[in-house]
Amino acid sequence: MTAAAYTSNRSSGLRDFIPRLPAGVWSLSGFSLLWFGGIVLPLLAIIVVSFLQGRGLKINFDPTILQYKRFFSYGGGEMLARSVRIAGTVTMIELLLAFPFALWLAKGCKNNTVRLLTFTALTVPFFLSPAARVIVWRSVFGINGVVNQILLGVGIVDEPVLWLIFSEFSVHFGFIGAFFPTMVWPIFLSVSLIDNDFLEASGDLGASRLRTLLHIILPLALPGIVAGFVFTFIPMLGDAVVASHMGGNNVLMLAAQVQSLIGVSNFLVAAALAAVVLAIMLAFQVLLWLALKPVGGLAGVFASLRR
Amino acid sequence: MPTNELAQNASPAAGEAPVLYVERATHRFGDVVALDDVSITAQRGEFLTLLGESGSGKTTLLRIIAGLERPTRIGRIAIDGADVSAIPASRRNCTTVFQHYALFPHMSVGQNIEYGLRVRGVAREKRRKRAEGVLELVRLPDKYDRRVHQLSGGERQRVALARALVTQPSILLLDEPLGALDEKLRVDMQVELKDLHEQLGLTFIYVTHSQEEALTMSDRIILLRQGRVVQQGPPQDLFDRPASRFVADFMGVENLLEGTLESVTGEIAVVRLQGHALRGIWCGPRATEPGTPVCVAVRAERVRLATEQQGFVQGANGIPCRTGATIYKGKYLDQTLETDFGPVKARIWDRDTDLSDLAYVWWREGDCAVTPLGGVGTAGVGPAPIG
Repeated sequence: MTAAAYTSNRSSGLRDFIPRLPAGVWSLSGFSLLWFGGIVLPLLAIIVVSFLQGRGLKINFDPTILQYKRFFSYGGGEMLARSVRIAGTVTMIELLLAFPFALWLAKGCKNNTVRLLTFTALTVPFFLSPAARVIVWRSVFGINGVVNQILLGVGIVDEPVLWLIFSEFSVHFGFIGAFFPTMVWPIFLSVSLIDNDFLEASGDLGASRLRTLLHIILPLALPGIVAGFVFTFIPMLGDAVVASHMGGNNVLMLAAQVQSLIGVSNFLVAAALAAVVLAIMLAFQVLLWLALKPVGGLAGVFASLRR
Repeated sequence: MPTNELAQNASPAAGEAPVLYVERATHRFGDVVALDDVSITAQRGEFLTLLGESGSGKTTLLRIIAGLERPTRIGRIAIDGADVSAIPASRRNCTTVFQHYALFPHMSVGQNIEYGLRVRGVAREKRRKRAEGVLELVRLPDKYDRRVHQLSGGERQRVALARALVTQPSILLLDEPLGALDEKLRVDMQVELKDLHEQLGLTFIYVTHSQEEALTMSDRIILLRQGRVVQQGPPQDLFDRPASRFVADFMGVENLLEGTLESVTGEIAVVRLQGHALRGIWCGPRATEPGTPVCVAVRAERVRLATEQQGFVQGANGIPCRTGATIYKGKYLDQTLETDFGPVKARIWDRDTDLSDLAYVWWREGDCAVTPLGGVGTAGVGPAPIG
């Protein structure tokens, strides 16, 4: 349907009741409506629910912060801090691992077969269900796992090492494996988009490889780094699988806790918890926005893509 | 003033050692030979053009000089007398103006220009002063704070020039810098580049596939084909004294008539062609046997028309003809004339020439070159072109 049809005199029936706006506005507001109805409304509902109180099967509609009080009184604050700390640490580790890797894949690797095999290897984790790929580590790090067998066999330790599984170590490890591709991909794409001419020009003008990396590659790869950061940190905060399978009861994290609360039908505390996660994510967005201010904000980051 | 600061080698001193030596450079891309044992030199302050069609190896040669390409085999590359064969691009005293400019999109015009100084640790104020100086030189004095994407093609070209000039290199390398500009701008920039070259006295090495650009700007042209030098010399030499049929064709000679060499006396060769004896200036090697197949090369604008035999100068080449097709070109007419040995093209500039009773075409022997058919690097069909 073209915009002209809306203004044509022959248009009749239902169309007369629709305000006459260009088609672009319609599709835009259509998307906005879908987004609002599908995503924003449920989130608002969660926030509303988190301020309610249940009595038996009935819900009392007086607003209260009881659910938040309960959450924090049961060690929720500690869990919150732990979740953010672990997700933040792992995201930084991912960045340090993924950037050189993506750089090599985009600019260093000249062999197309090697590159294709690497791409395939990066998608392998997605072949399995998240629980299945995490659970494999149990047989590696468990008390009777491969690592302990080797350590005992060689004689480095006399009894099995316990901190290998159901510990912060194993949670970090599980996250690093699961969220490596989400950091590599955006960085790989943004580095691939950097014209080789820029790198040659930088060298030609007298810059060493390190300076080319700092002055040319890093700023031009910034959109990918920001995207990698967002798509790694936020899903990690929302990931319930790794924490529950690799951390057990020793490393309680937000998302896993929401899931177990829903499992025992404690929807109100679960809603409060979900609202806290939401607040953290919003706070993270604000932090990101502040962090990017020196380079002209998010718009400044993507301005470098304009040619 | 930046002009004085940059004009380090105001005039090429005679007898001075060349600023650039490239000895026996060979480069292969897989099985394809892009550059085949080429040696060149450039004098200080010279405007040297590497001319050739795509795949001739001209860009490869430029990139080898810049240090952006490691040659497969090399005798020696020396800039300013120092061997740089093993030195990376970042420490060679030459800068490149890239074909598509390669201006950093995340930096302003000023930051782009200052880049070479910044990586050399020049202080901020000094950087800015020098950048503003070269911006003035390329006639963009008030564009320091602009973003690259706000500039027109011609402005980007000038910024790229300024960025390459600001570090005061010994040699400026230009890789088809006018290729992306529209025709009028290209013509203007040719003049500007030539002025800039004279003003700075810097050595320019300029890569192009356009014989017109090469003729307009160069002190000397090196014509490459399939990775080899086929002819080098001042523009007039390549234009009027092509060393082979290929050079004549590349330099835009419209009439290439093939015959056999009868004799060479002094400068003048006599060629037998379908019963006619044509005379022209011999441009081939000294000792060439009579009977060798050769090519008579005459430019259309040097071909003249006559209604009778008395109409042309004594000793000139005169051939009976019939009028053929006419092509209107705006400024002139391209007139084809049918002769015993095929069509000959003449260029008619005036509107008064009566084409109805033409009987002869003629040209002076001095207006016509006689070249060998083959010549260096012209044998056979070459490897696939490399850019």
